[in-house]
Amino acid sequence: MAYVSMGEAHRRITEYLNRFCDAVSDQDSLTLCRLLSFSSNSPPLLSLADALNVFQDASSLIGKSDKFSEYGEILAHLFRSLQSYRVGNLVEAYLAFDKFANAFVQEFRNWESAWALEALYVVCYEIRILAEKADKELTSNGKSPEKLKAAGSLLMKVFGVLAGKGPKRVGALYVTCQLFKTYFKLGTVNLCRSVIRSIETARIFDFEEFPTRDKVTYMYYTGRLEVFNENFPAADTKLSYALQYCDPKKERNIRMILKYLIPVKLSIGIIPKDELLQKYNLHEYINIVQALRKGDLRLLRHALQEHEDRFLRSGVYLVLEKLELQVYQRLMKKIYIIQKLSDPARAHQLKLEVIAKALRWLEIDMDLDEVECIMTILIYKNLVKGYLAHKSKVVVLSKQDPFPKLNGKPVGS
Amino acid sequence: MNRPNRGSSSSGSGGGANESFRRRSDLPPHKRNNEADNNNNNKGADVAFIVGTCSSMCPERERITRERLRDLSVFERLYGSPTKSSTDLAVKKFCRTLSAADVQASDVRPLPVLEKTLRYLLSLLDSREHPFEVVHDFIFDRTRSIRQDLSIQNLANERVIYLYEQIVKFHVISRQRLQGCSGTSISSMHHLNMEQLAKTLTTLYNIYDANRKPDHIYENEAEFRSLYVLLHLNTSSGVMGEPLSLWFRKLTSNLIKSKEMCFVRNLLRSYRNGNYKNFLRTTASEATYLQYCISEPYIREMRSFAVECINNVCYKLQPYPLLRLSQNLMMKELDVESLCHECGLEIRTDSDGCIVLPTKQTSFCSPKEGFKNYDLIGIEIERLL
Repeated sequence: MAYVSMGEAHRRITEYLNRFCDAVSDQDSLTLCRLLSFSSNSPPLLSLADALNVFQDASSLIGKSDKFSEYGEILAHLFRSLQSYRVGNLVEAYLAFDKFANAFVQEFRNWESAWALEALYVVCYEIRILAEKADKELTSNGKSPEKLKAAGSLLMKVFGVLAGKGPKRVGALYVTCQLFKTYFKLGTVNLCRSVIRSIETARIFDFEEFPTRDKVTYMYYTGRLEVFNENFPAADTKLSYALQYCDPKKERNIRMILKYLIPVKLSIGIIPKDELLQKYNLHEYINIVQALRKGDLRLLRHALQEHEDRFLRSGVYLVLEKLELQVYQRLMKKIYIIQKLSDPARAHQLKLEVIAKALRWLEIDMDLDEVECIMTILIYKNLVKGYLAHKSKVVVLSKQDPFPKLNGKPVGS
Repeated sequence: MNRPNRGSSSSGSGGGANESFRRRSDLPPHKRNNEADNNNNNKGADVAFIVGTCSSMCPERERITRERLRDLSVFERLYGSPTKSSTDLAVKKFCRTLSAADVQASDVRPLPVLEKTLRYLLSLLDSREHPFEVVHDFIFDRTRSIRQDLSIQNLANERVIYLYEQIVKFHVISRQRLQGCSGTSISSMHHLNMEQLAKTLTTLYNIYDANRKPDHIYENEAEFRSLYVLLHLNTSSGVMGEPLSLWFRKLTSNLIKSKEMCFVRNLLRSYRNGNYKNFLRTTASEATYLQYCISEPYIREMRSFAVECINNVCYKLQPYPLLRLSQNLMMKELDVESLCHECGLEIRTDSDGCIVLPTKQTSFCSPKEGFKNYDLIGIEIERLL
């Protein structure tokens, strides 16, 4: 830390206090954002933190002037948090920031207009980030991480302030997204439900009026929830919305959306181009897509095994595993096409023996009973049209459209 | 069911190592810290947990009161007397209205007494003197009280894990055996049993997590974790809430790769794809007794699904022989007949004298819940017992 004289420290603190109070009285949200944005680690904030650590008694400075003491509580907590933050004491920083945030929200509630919305966003963002950092510190000291959970309650409180009628409502979606991030991280996604209900059932506010950025994030998270619940048409709608409105320059975000949208699309029979997978670095899906194209069951199983951990952690494993029936469908179609080349008149008869042989080539050992079982399911779920002649151990394909496309609907629906 | 206690780790003497459990139980497993560290930094959780001093299965005070009120279970009556019990027979009842504040140490049983009590209760499980629902009802209530004593004292060490595993086992076995009982209150008993099974499992998982050491799985942990998957094969019947795809995210990779988990994941895949053949075969060859008990309703479901498929997709002029169906569904031919009837389908004898299922019948309907279970042929009984 560079040496800071007492006088210099005094000057920096007073300057900050002036800027803060001016920003509030001028309703200058942008400046306020900059003054609150800890995680930006901006030079002015860092040098203020150094000054606070030299000066120590900033509260006497706040108390000296009426202008400052009007926001005395807000500022005192904020300063304490910044001081701890600067010396790397993140739990203390969090605790003080939490008090600051409460005081700030109280003030925000009293402001009639929504001018400080952007500044409130910064507070919401910072409290979540700070809580995550504090939890890391707690964990590394062998204590139980609990700050993110606490941040969740605070965010819920902010949500309550915004969710009512009036001009502040437009900010509710931003806070919702911060809540989603918190709950997903904590693994308590069921808590999302009440917030979603509040957003989606409100008649006083049209969803489309929320800022695009927040709508995209919201659709991403709710889309993921639909994936977990295996509600694929809804997941498709939400994630596609997120993709459509996502800033095309934000490649990382697009990749995150595609990570979920691709399995959803696959499960309703829509296969992405390889270039898309390449462009967004989604290599884990390349073999899965290949398996679907080629009807290669072995490749599907290998791909699932190879990326098992990744797919399980992201929660798409079970979705991908279910693609098996579509791979079988593709395999049957291939057998049919090959038969058509050699003996068009009998191409529509698929012998169970032949199917078992094809599977053996793929190193999958299956007796005729299980092949029969698979074919029964394929016909039953309308992936294959035809009937089973069990006596002759043959599946007789329908002459018309023997392998119906899914047309955007999940298998068996 | 009895097994020597593993005397490792601290006995549940209340404070210290155990008091951190409650707080930690909410955390994701990988964030957990080890015991030693927790003792030192326990600011928010300095609640003193009670240390029980009751040395018999039932506090004397309660026993005397219940004798007076004639509130004794059939298992608690000395020589059948409705007003007389003994320390060997009376077991503390579950009582909901306890607030931790007015619990007296003399009413709470310490771990060794709880262990003894559970051993005694489970020894009643095979009693043939009373119908199973009566046995179940008694053990159901008294094990609940054991869990209450454990949680009042905030006990959560390895010996406690074993107790919870045994209680889970009781509920799992009950799930299966209650199916075979008749009586008006069976369905509500079954419901309550599932409810307590879910609760006990949740606590058990929390204790596994709280005691988690890196790269270590408890002896029976993989099997008990696998029960969660089996209880959630069907997404819509979420017994314990969290969808499987979320649940899997939290498992450590050595649990995921464990034999028991691989087995249930194989079942899960077959179930979800409808592969009845693999589902039944794998269950018969690999399921443990507990896994089998939980799987029974799914076995039934897969079989009726198979019948539905066959009826639906087979060539109308080729009725399906019941003998083949019985082989594929791993059940006795007579049972297949009964299953077909349950599904609303007719069977008949063809010109060769074989019993067959005429296909493309339009009268198929899924059998109602609670229909009887048919044996799974090929399952090794020795493995189950």
